[in-house]
Amino acid sequence: MSAPSARAGYVAVLRRDLLLAWRRRGEAALPVLYALIVATLFPFALGPEGALLSRIAAGVVLVTVLLAMLLSLDGLFRPDWEDGSLEQLLLAPQPLGLLLAAKILAHWLTTALPLLLASPLLAAMLHLPTAVLPVLMAALVLATPLMSLLGALVVALTVGTRRSGMLLALMLLPLMVPVVIFAAGAVSAAQQGLPFIAPLAWLGAALVLALVLAPAACAAALRIALDA
Amino acid sequence: MNPRPSPAAATLLEVRELAFARRDEPVFGPLDFDLAGGEIGLIEGDNGSGKTTLLRILAGLLRASSGSARVDGLAPSDPAAAGIALLLGHQLGLKADLGVRENLATAAGLYGQREGCGITDTITEVGLDGYADVPVRQLSAGQKKRAALARLRLLPARLWLLDEPFANLDRAGIALVNRLLDVHVAGHGAALVTTHGAVSFRDHATRRIALS
Repeated sequence: MSAPSARAGYVAVLRRDLLLAWRRRGEAALPVLYALIVATLFPFALGPEGALLSRIAAGVVLVTVLLAMLLSLDGLFRPDWEDGSLEQLLLAPQPLGLLLAAKILAHWLTTALPLLLASPLLAAMLHLPTAVLPVLMAALVLATPLMSLLGALVVALTVGTRRSGMLLALMLLPLMVPVVIFAAGAVSAAQQGLPFIAPLAWLGAALVLALVLAPAACAAALRIALDA
Repeated sequence: MNPRPSPAAATLLEVRELAFARRDEPVFGPLDFDLAGGEIGLIEGDNGSGKTTLLRILAGLLRASSGSARVDGLAPSDPAAAGIALLLGHQLGLKADLGVRENLATAAGLYGQREGCGITDTITEVGLDGYADVPVRQLSAGQKKRAALARLRLLPARLWLLDEPFANLDRAGIALVNRLLDVHVAGHGAALVTTHGAVSFRDHATRRIALS
C-alpha cells in the first residue's frame, strides 16, 4: 500500500476545498457585495461630509470586512458535517489539526482574499486618505487570518448545534474586540502621523500564536462536539 | 504506516465486555467477539438496538461506556490505528459538487491507495463508467452508494465497518457489494456488516453478533 503522508493529506484537503469554492464561485462574490452595501449605507446615514467620513473610514472598512467574514464562517464545517466528510477527516491517519489548517487556509483564500482586494475600493468610497491605505491593508492582512482562525475554533464548538448563526456571532465577536482595537489603533495612529508599528506588531504576535494553537484547539473542539 | 504483514488468521478486531449507555440508559452490551482476517461478521438487531453506535465506537468516533475494543491490537481512537478501519455510514462522505473521481482522489490523498488499485479502474469496477466526472449531486441514490463503495475498494483499510451497505442498491448493486466483500476477504481483510434486507447475505457471514 502507498503510505499516506501528512503532506498528501494537507494537499488533498486544500485542493478539495478550493475546487469546491471554484465550483460555486458565485458564492465567493456574496461577502464582497455585502461589504460594499454596508459601507455604502454609512454615507447615507451620516451624511456625505468628507472630513467625518475620512475619520471613520478605516474603522468602517475593518468592521465591515470582519462582519462579512462572519457570515461565511458557518459554511466552514457545517456542509462537511452534514454529508459525512467531516468523519472522513476525523478518521484520517494525519493529525486532524493539520487537515483543519488546510480547510482554514482555503476559507481565508476564498472569502478574506476577495474582501482584501475590495477594501481599497471601500476605503476610497469613504474618503480614506491615500497615504493611510497601506497601513489599513497591513492591518487587514493580519486581522483577517486571525478572524478565520478564531472563527474556525468557535464554529468547531457549535457545529453540532442547530441554528448556530447567532450563537456564533455572540461567541466570536467578543474575541475579536482586541483585534479591532489594535487594527483600528494602527490606522488612526498613522492618520495622526504617529508611529503605528506597535499595534501592528501586536496583531502579528497574536496571529503567530493563533496559527500555532488554533488548528489544534479546533481539532479538540470538533472531537468534543461530535462525540455526542 | 504499518509495515507488518497481516497473516491470514490474525485477529483484526477484539471486543471484550463492550457496552454503551446513553445518559445511563443501556443501549447494548456487554459484547464479546473476535473477528480475524478473512471473516465477515453480521451484526443483527432491531431498529434502535445500537448497530450504528457499535460501528461508530469501533471506528473511533464514539467512546464506549465500559469494556474495550482493539483494532489490530490498538484502541480505535489511537492515532496509530487510523486508517486500519474504514467506516461506511448512512452519510456517504461524498462532496455533492465534486465528481466521483475528485472525491476518490481526495480520499486517496488522505488514506493512501490499496496496492494495484487505480481510481479509474475502481470506478469501472463499481459500474460508474461514464459518470466519473459528473457531480455527485446529479447521481441517483444507488449510484452515490456505488461511489462510496468505490472508496472501500480503493483505500487500503483492512477492516470494513459497513452500516447498511445494501440500502438503495438494485440487484446488481447487491451483487457488487457481495463481490467486493469476497475480494476483500480473499485478501485477508475483515468486515463487520449491519443489514436488514438481503437475506441471501446471511450465508456470506462467518460470524453473527446479536445486539439486544
